[in-house]
Amino acid sequence: MSNLYEFRAKVLIAKTSLDGHWRGVSLVARALRDGGFEVILGGMLRPSQIAQVARDEDVDLVGLNVGGRIEVVYRIIDELKVVGLGGVPVFCGGTVPPGAATKLRDLGVDVYPPGTTLAAIAEAAHRLTSGN
Amino acid sequence: MEYQSASGIERRLIYDRSDVPDSWWDLLRSGAGEAPFIRGAYPEMYRSKPWRIFQLSGFGSPEDMNARLKFLLKAGETGIIVKHDRMTDDHLYDVDHPEVAERREDVGLTGTVTVGLRDYQTIMDGIPIESVYAKPGGGVPQSAPYTQSSYWSVALSRGLKLSQIAGTGQSDFFLTYLGCPCKEQIPPDAALRFNLDIIEFCNEHMPKWVPVSIAGYNGADSGLNAPQELAAVLSTAVEYLDGIQARGRLTPADFAHQIGGVNFRVSMDFFEEIAKLRVARKMWHDLLLNRYGISDPKASRMRIHVVTAGSAMTYQEPLNNIVRGTVMALASALGGTQSLGVSGYDEALSIPSDHAHLMSIRIQQVLQEETGLTSVVDPLGGSFYIESLCNDLEKRAWEVFDEIQGQGGFVATVQNGWLRGRASDEQTAQAKRFEENDLKLVGVNAHLVDDPIMHVDGFEGRSGDVTWAQAMERLTALRRERHTTATLTALRELEGVCRGGGNIVPAVMGAVQADASIGEIGQVFRDAFGVWNVSENEFGV
Repeated sequence: MSNLYEFRAKVLIAKTSLDGHWRGVSLVARALRDGGFEVILGGMLRPSQIAQVARDEDVDLVGLNVGGRIEVVYRIIDELKVVGLGGVPVFCGGTVPPGAATKLRDLGVDVYPPGTTLAAIAEAAHRLTSGN
Repeated sequence: MEYQSASGIERRLIYDRSDVPDSWWDLLRSGAGEAPFIRGAYPEMYRSKPWRIFQLSGFGSPEDMNARLKFLLKAGETGIIVKHDRMTDDHLYDVDHPEVAERREDVGLTGTVTVGLRDYQTIMDGIPIESVYAKPGGGVPQSAPYTQSSYWSVALSRGLKLSQIAGTGQSDFFLTYLGCPCKEQIPPDAALRFNLDIIEFCNEHMPKWVPVSIAGYNGADSGLNAPQELAAVLSTAVEYLDGIQARGRLTPADFAHQIGGVNFRVSMDFFEEIAKLRVARKMWHDLLLNRYGISDPKASRMRIHVVTAGSAMTYQEPLNNIVRGTVMALASALGGTQSLGVSGYDEALSIPSDHAHLMSIRIQQVLQEETGLTSVVDPLGGSFYIESLCNDLEKRAWEVFDEIQGQGGFVATVQNGWLRGRASDEQTAQAKRFEENDLKLVGVNAHLVDDPIMHVDGFEGRSGDVTWAQAMERLTALRRERHTTATLTALRELEGVCRGGGNIVPAVMGAVQADASIGEIGQVFRDAFGVWNVSENEFGV
């Protein structure tokens, strides 16, 4: 649990694709904000822009709504490495089919598909930013 | 435990005659096909014409799209829908636009990718335009003139006349500014101009075409409850009716029938959704009569297209969604829909596989041909519960309608954030119910098994890299092979119409036929109208 003296972790939330589905993004962003995080909304930034904002804002976690293919997630991870943020954890939600989710998990990227509770997502964000 | 409908109407244990006012019983003296159309749009309903099996479809290259359309038609679909790639089509970006190139792997995943008119020839290859009912695309207003002009141009190139082509547009505000806002969309006032231009163009040239189809689906699946969906759909219609009237060339009586083909979402609250469709027809009739003095049944008979709720489809145990799809399809038929698309059972995982698409068609065919459902008109008419719900829903919906009109109308509530706020509130409330386990989803938070055995993987379509590279080649060829002077002249003419007056449709058709690319047309729009500012704060955070 957070208290006044505790560090408030920063999370960048962005969409990987231009599919336009916002319902999950806004719910998750709000849940994280209510869960004590500072939430930066990256909207529909391109992969290279996501990495730049993550660096400029010095974020502790990147949350990606995937409405497209996971190759774009790979590209974002590569872009994060380019700007020196290879160690920043990334987690994903959205329409990630099970096979694609397995590939992402193999890379160390947590995937929270539709049907995950917001509480579980907030808990994961706490875990990923506390280094446990 | 509270007993109430999805929109919050109390559910009593049992209903009787006294739960429905006499004034409502009086309305039921009118049969189907008679004003105010509560019991159905047509006298014989499905006996003379079963609802149209009308599935959203599209992915990959134009060849992929063509093959899927042929597959669906062969399986018994009775209308075709071409879904376009959102990145290129809805944004009017060429495939070499930086926004697309940096996400090239996504190309073709949300629909088929086109670079210009010649791709539309490929999409429609071997498909009889003269006999098929089509929705050629154009979910968002800025892409509607391009996609429809492309489809119509293919028809013209086959020697057909515009007056022979049957189908529907969409040009939907809910999708564009509420449910699925993307980047760089023309502002709502420009979108309204586009839609009014399309309505006027079709009024003159295309009697068999529904120029715009107000899509309550996209409002409802963004959160709006049933009364809000009804009110917002009717309020959109008011924008069209008043807008065309203000132009002074047509009166509402001349064209009201053109905008009476609308779309609703049907989700899992079975009885409320049935009631919603029945009461929608009455409200449309009453709106035209009371506000515009129109009583011609051709105009006041609302025709409904339903899409079953994608948001009701679960990621876990996806085969359960076949049951959900069936339940929602049944509600749609009992509500008297004219056409229906059933969301794929893999909706929460991906775009529909061919298998999921086939199931969506089979669900409808089984209902139409094996159950006796289609042989009786409005089989639930007179049910105390259904009629009580209709009466309640109507009252609530008119209240919301008045609230929207009081703010200056539908577009005003899009621009001032009010509609977004209502959708967001409903979404949050629903999420809270799921979070607290009050909203049960079988296989997700109820009745879980230790070892899930329903293995379904999402449909990935063709590799985005390949689809993108092929589209790049087609774009290069288009630019190389066309008569550039003619293209530039057509684009200048389009720009003149955008900045000046005149109907945009012939100008877009001219540009399409002169082999302008999708991105070139988009650039003219962006320069002339600017773009709507998608503030992230409008997304409920």
